[in-house]
Amino acid sequence: MSPYGVDNTMRGVVFDVKRGVTKDGPGLRTSVFLKGCPLRCVWCHNPESQAPEIERAVTTDEVCGREVSVGEVMDEVRRDKVFYASSGGGVTLTGGEPAMQLGFASALASAAHEEGIHVAFDTCGFAQWTVFEKLLSIVDLFLYDLKCMDTAKHREFTGVDNALILDNLRRLDTAGAKSWIRCPLVPGLNDSDSDLASLRVFIRSLRNVQKMEICPYHTLGLEKFAKFGRRVPGSVPTVPASSADIVRWEGVLFA
Amino acid sequence: MSYAEQMARLTARKIEQTRVKQERLGARDEDDYGLVLPPASFKVDLPVRDATGQWSGPRSWAANFRWLMEHHPLYIDPDDAIAGRWMFMLSRMRLGYQLSRSNFAFDYSHLEPLQKKYDITTGIGKDAHFAPDYQIGLDLGWGGLLEKMRAARRKFADDDYAVELMDAEEQAILGVTIWTRRLAAAADDRAMTEDDPVRKSNLEEMARVCYKIAEARPETFREAVQWIAIFNMASRTYNRDGAGGQLDELLRPYYERDKAAGVLTDEDAEFYCFCLLLNDPHYYQIGGPAADGTDQTSRMSFIILEAAAKLKSSCNLTIRVWDGMDRSLFRRGVEILLGNRLGYPRFSGDKALVEGFMKNGYSAELARQRIAVGCNWMSLPGLEYTLNDVVKINIAKVFEVAFSESDSWTELEANYRRHFAAAVKVTAEGIDFHLDHQYLNEPELLLNLLSHGPIEKGRDVSHGGAMYYNMAIDGAGLAVVADSFGAIEQRVVDEKSLSFAEVKAAVAANFEGEDGERVRKLLESSGRYGAGGTAADRWAVKLTEILNGEIAGRTTPHGFKLIPGWFTWADTLRFGRAVGATPNGRKAGEPISHGANPLPGFRKDGALTAMATAIASVQPGYGNTAPWQLEVDIGLADDEEAVEKVMALIDGHFKMGGTLVNINVVDAEKILAAHKDPSKYPDLVVRVTGFTAYFNSLSPAFRQLVVKRLIREAV
Repeated sequence: MSPYGVDNTMRGVVFDVKRGVTKDGPGLRTSVFLKGCPLRCVWCHNPESQAPEIERAVTTDEVCGREVSVGEVMDEVRRDKVFYASSGGGVTLTGGEPAMQLGFASALASAAHEEGIHVAFDTCGFAQWTVFEKLLSIVDLFLYDLKCMDTAKHREFTGVDNALILDNLRRLDTAGAKSWIRCPLVPGLNDSDSDLASLRVFIRSLRNVQKMEICPYHTLGLEKFAKFGRRVPGSVPTVPASSADIVRWEGVLFA
Repeated sequence: MSYAEQMARLTARKIEQTRVKQERLGARDEDDYGLVLPPASFKVDLPVRDATGQWSGPRSWAANFRWLMEHHPLYIDPDDAIAGRWMFMLSRMRLGYQLSRSNFAFDYSHLEPLQKKYDITTGIGKDAHFAPDYQIGLDLGWGGLLEKMRAARRKFADDDYAVELMDAEEQAILGVTIWTRRLAAAADDRAMTEDDPVRKSNLEEMARVCYKIAEARPETFREAVQWIAIFNMASRTYNRDGAGGQLDELLRPYYERDKAAGVLTDEDAEFYCFCLLLNDPHYYQIGGPAADGTDQTSRMSFIILEAAAKLKSSCNLTIRVWDGMDRSLFRRGVEILLGNRLGYPRFSGDKALVEGFMKNGYSAELARQRIAVGCNWMSLPGLEYTLNDVVKINIAKVFEVAFSESDSWTELEANYRRHFAAAVKVTAEGIDFHLDHQYLNEPELLLNLLSHGPIEKGRDVSHGGAMYYNMAIDGAGLAVVADSFGAIEQRVVDEKSLSFAEVKAAVAANFEGEDGERVRKLLESSGRYGAGGTAADRWAVKLTEILNGEIAGRTTPHGFKLIPGWFTWADTLRFGRAVGATPNGRKAGEPISHGANPLPGFRKDGALTAMATAIASVQPGYGNTAPWQLEVDIGLADDEEAVEKVMALIDGHFKMGGTLVNINVVDAEKILAAHKDPSKYPDLVVRVTGFTAYFNSLSPAFRQLVVKRLIREAV
């Protein structure tokens, strides 16, 4: 046990730790990528993160995922403390969906939180409310994905219903949790004018949103589907979003 | 006609001059220097040369320099505020000159076997690489310097050495004075045929300024700027000296006086600074603490910075970052760096530099005056002699010698320590040899004039004239050696997946064959220096302790202080060629690592914070630097918070002990395109080591290296 009462020996499956990250929250950050996701988005750019277990690529000898303890991850996270301080950064738990490994993720968040390191939690929002309730006191910022307000489309493109996701976000917001809303937009799938308009209306109804970001679709995930033995979803575009798309999205969302 | 138009024309001409230089001189892996080519018809006919094309001794140098100044082609640009450009390096006109090995009139073959064994860059016969104090010259003018020198000659009438040196100094001063008058006359001539009224009046003013400062001390801002430029060009012509000074403080009194008198606007001052920076990319510092610890940032600092921003050419401006600074100077510097993407300004870390230099036994007041005026180096203007950046030990070579003699892991460290100590010993003996003979080989006739001591003592600055001697020795190849030790420790000692003998055999065979490649891959994929928490990281720190153990606080056999640093300059290729395969998976002849940087690929994410942390951990910490060469890609530079993030990176690095940060903002696409056809991007400036250079002036191999590093290290 750590001096803070956090279980440093708790283990989880992580598929990457990136330092000096300039996205994924404010300042300079360390992003810890936890494996496993309840969604199966057709546009996923990290398809190797979907399965919760360690897996081997089909076409190369690459292995995705390794089992590590909270203490080991914290050793890596601590290395950049001076930069968190100078930039207003911290650690970001991302994935996959970090809530899939709730025990590990919350132990990690607690460890960082108790050392005064800013914690961001990058989530798709698809988990029981009790999960987020538990995270409220140890997470400083939620990076919350909003993919589509249309329930049918959401189910079609992600494999799950969006009611729980929207409900959790409303509750987090009501509880005073700070959030950045991130919208992965894919031309032709979830970017119609009405899609964007309803996103805008919903986001505007929230009180504690600090920032809204568009994550334009890119095609870097496509080859990884094959690499990890998954079929590329037929409906996904083979070209990245154009700057014209982005200008239109910004026009509607940020108007 | 506006200054903006004048600046645009001056910049266009500079780009054209660079293109012509590239055509006529071919690739050069050096600074741009601001040199302009002489007319093709101009013949150099130096009065003193022996049968082998050499000369030495103060008299010969003085006579040749004076000849060059008397005959130097005159460059007058009616758009420029400054008269003149420099065209020759006298020190390179001795027959058989090589950048890597100076001509030296004295035999040091007794040192050469060991110098070769450890691939030492000896510094013997190397010139300049310490800082002048321009204040001496600005206060006295050439006439005042002449009087000072003549008074010293009277004082030392019975001292033949001093008399010869003062005679030589007299010739040097007269040479500069004559050249300045010739420039004035040329500007006058040009004014008579100029129709444009603005240019005509500029040329007339140029002539007046040059006539005046040929002897009298400068009194106005423009006169001071022209004086500094004249000294720079003369000193370049003599021996390539490129050290500048604390430019904002040097110019501030003239700026304030002229402003108060209503004869100078900020636009005028900015334009004059623009012309000074265009004239020659000398290394200047702005900002930072004064000797008494107060902030030196002034309106002048910002004017110089804005002039540099408009320059969009090769420029070596350093902003001193410290706790008591005006942060807006820092912020504006980072904005320009990210906006212009030309590799400047650079940033130096005051805390580690001052605290480090004090460990050599100097006061805080003195340490604060030791400023960034060279590629990787700091110097006390006018007060010390250093051989900065020209004395280097290739530790990859030292490692190779140690490794070849070792049959086990336990022997390896002991052998490395023993050979490194031997390498430092012969390097220090070489420094003593240089200090014994350099005054006759090549006295510092120009820099002596702006130093406190040589004229007063009647001794060349390299031979007892300086106030302090702080002789630099830099280690080169840190990451190669740290990764080599780390790879063996991880694979042989900890995991036992390879035996020491297997590694030795594979390295000896340059990793040839299938098994060689297997061994190479295992070694190469072990934890690297820079990744954080690896064996190689611990070895990098240990190698720094070993470096310090032999150098820091130690002296040469003759008692001159030594100061350690980590720096490779532009010599990663040359050093690499001298070293066979190494256990980090590097094949024979491949380049060694760059300064204190980890090798490309040190982490999959190439994290800048990880680099910053690693490089801070290997700072020798005695006032000389181990610079961080940071490559920032376009993604980061375009980020809306990029300025804050880069500031945070630099702040964090300096907080952990960093000393100097050189940043290239990478536009990967542009660099790839330039790599294919350099002529398409004649204005592309990249920071190569501590200096900026035009990308198309670099040799193909060097361009390849820059491209590879930029692409791989880009976040």
